[in-house]
Amino acid sequence: MNRTYVIIATVVAIALIASAAFIIYYQGQISDSEIEALQNLVDDHGYKTSLTAYPEKIVSLAPSCTEILFAIDAGDKVVAVTDYDNYPYDFAAWIAAGNMTSVGDFTNPNLEVITTLDPDLILASGGVQEESVGTLRELGYKILVLDPTSIDGVLKNIELVGNATGKRAEATALVDDIINRINTVTNKVANAAKPKVYYEVYYESTSSWTIGALAWQNELIEKAGGINLFEDQQIDYYQYQVEALIDRNPDVMVLPASGMGTGQLEGLEAIKARPGWDTTSAVQNDRLYQIDSNIIERAGPRVADAIEQLAGFFNPELF
Amino acid sequence: MSKVEVESTFFKRTSRWKLIVLLLVLALIMTVIVSLNVGYAQIPFPDILGILGKQIPFLDNFIDSSLISPQNEAIILQIRLPRILAGVLVGAALAAAGVLYQGVFKNPMADSYVLGVSAGAAVGASLSILSGIGFVFLGLRLVQVAAFIGAISAMFLVYNISRVGSRVPVATLLLCGIAVNFFLFAVVGLLEVVAGDELHSIVFWLVGGFSNVLWRDIWAVLPFIIIGVVAAYFYARDLNLLAMGEETAHNLGVNVERSKQVLLVLASLTTAAAVSISGLVGFVGLMIPHLTRLLIGPDHRILLPTSTIIGAIFLVICDDLARVVATPFASTLELPVGIITMLFGAPFFIFLFKKKKQSYAA
Repeated sequence: MNRTYVIIATVVAIALIASAAFIIYYQGQISDSEIEALQNLVDDHGYKTSLTAYPEKIVSLAPSCTEILFAIDAGDKVVAVTDYDNYPYDFAAWIAAGNMTSVGDFTNPNLEVITTLDPDLILASGGVQEESVGTLRELGYKILVLDPTSIDGVLKNIELVGNATGKRAEATALVDDIINRINTVTNKVANAAKPKVYYEVYYESTSSWTIGALAWQNELIEKAGGINLFEDQQIDYYQYQVEALIDRNPDVMVLPASGMGTGQLEGLEAIKARPGWDTTSAVQNDRLYQIDSNIIERAGPRVADAIEQLAGFFNPELF
Repeated sequence: MSKVEVESTFFKRTSRWKLIVLLLVLALIMTVIVSLNVGYAQIPFPDILGILGKQIPFLDNFIDSSLISPQNEAIILQIRLPRILAGVLVGAALAAAGVLYQGVFKNPMADSYVLGVSAGAAVGASLSILSGIGFVFLGLRLVQVAAFIGAISAMFLVYNISRVGSRVPVATLLLCGIAVNFFLFAVVGLLEVVAGDELHSIVFWLVGGFSNVLWRDIWAVLPFIIIGVVAAYFYARDLNLLAMGEETAHNLGVNVERSKQVLLVLASLTTAAAVSISGLVGFVGLMIPHLTRLLIGPDHRILLPTSTIIGAIFLVICDDLARVVATPFASTLELPVGIITMLFGAPFFIFLFKKKKQSYAA
């Protein structure tokens, strides 16, 4: 009797331990398609990176990269960010409290800090960071450069980072959510009048800058139901002639606040008082809007937020 | 030479000079009128005349303003005209100051960078940009006031460092000026490193430009530039004598130290006024005096007024080019005028120099 119980108990115990071990073992394994994706990560510059395991230490060299990592629940692997990072958390406070490392400036990330951290993966953006990226690659680090120029590019990047960090499901869910939100906006504005939109990059007495067709914001304005005032210009960010703005007469002005824009500093009244600007419909109808420059300048997961806000500016009665 | 012969040469020369100045003034007026037509917006010339005519009392009764769009009126009166006049003022000021610097230093390389004036303006402007304060002082923005104060302070700093007893030797002034210039531009470099988001503002200011200049900016700097240039004209004879060496000038009755002091203050004042509305527009102050010397001669009594007018014409044309040359790539694109002055000015200068080098005397 006692022996029987002991045997049964032993068998049950062995079975439980075995199945538990098997479950633990199986969960640690990743599927073949996931392994394949992990070994074939191709970034926006066509550079192929191959990882053998999901990274435990990630350094993010751009706020847009950090936003993607946190949005797909991979934020706990981030060990360092730049001084410009401020979303979704107040990283400056984290850094001050010693809970996060700073790689310093966005343009010149501190390579010594990065090599000391010895990350498994680095996410960077293009442009000014290319020199640092080249150096880090030569040092043998695995780097993904996220340099999207379109909404599709951002969605692809979210999936790429999902594949690289083992957050495929989260990435797919985020992409679906962004697509749904953008579709909702485009459906609402489909039959609405399309205002001509001036988007300010910079304005001072020395020069004035806006966006042409190749800037990232051009597509956001389009999706939100507006027309970039300078969408016929095959250029991204450029110094424009203010008389062209007066001549083309925008219906709406979008002024990113903080960051590079001067909108926040001057205030809307000063903008309306700029020479000749009082002749535009936008000023006459008081349709000047400020938007958080971080939302609209970063090609990241808040792209749907940017489009929703813009759409609200362009057709307030629909939202 | 008999007395009659001397008198007749003198009258011939002064009447030739008067003719040259008159022709240059006409050329400047023509340049301004042509420039009013240059830009993205296609505004018919009769409309431009109508818009300008409307501003003249009595004449406005004869103009049918219903045909003129408020947009075109704003473009001409509030954008193109101030911009062209800023080109006139800044070009004139930088060229006149260049004549004075080169005359006082007897050095063909001398310009507003030599006394640290440009660098001082750059430090003032950068600091005010970083302060993030956009406040307006007597109708001027802080960056303009700060650039002006920076320029004048740098000049006084260099002048006082170089003082040896009651004299200020030109060689000392030149070397101290260059040292201070490097030091101040190092400060600007440092400010750029810590500038973060404001870096663009500093960079654009250093490149120079007056695309969005305001009428009140022009009124603010106008008196400084006019007083500077006119006052300097009374020292043209002293500059001629200084060219023969300070000893000779002293023996011929020039108060050398006093003249140098006054001329440097006037040059720095006009430069400071100009850069406060334009940022650092390079090469005009260096090149125009040489160009004028090649064309007209080294006598400062004619060199100063003609350089001033040619400088004005040159910068207005450069600003026209800034609005035109890039439009094949994108119709609303413009280039920074400070880049045009060097990109087009330098090859033009070399061309003239090669052509007329046999007759050149600095």
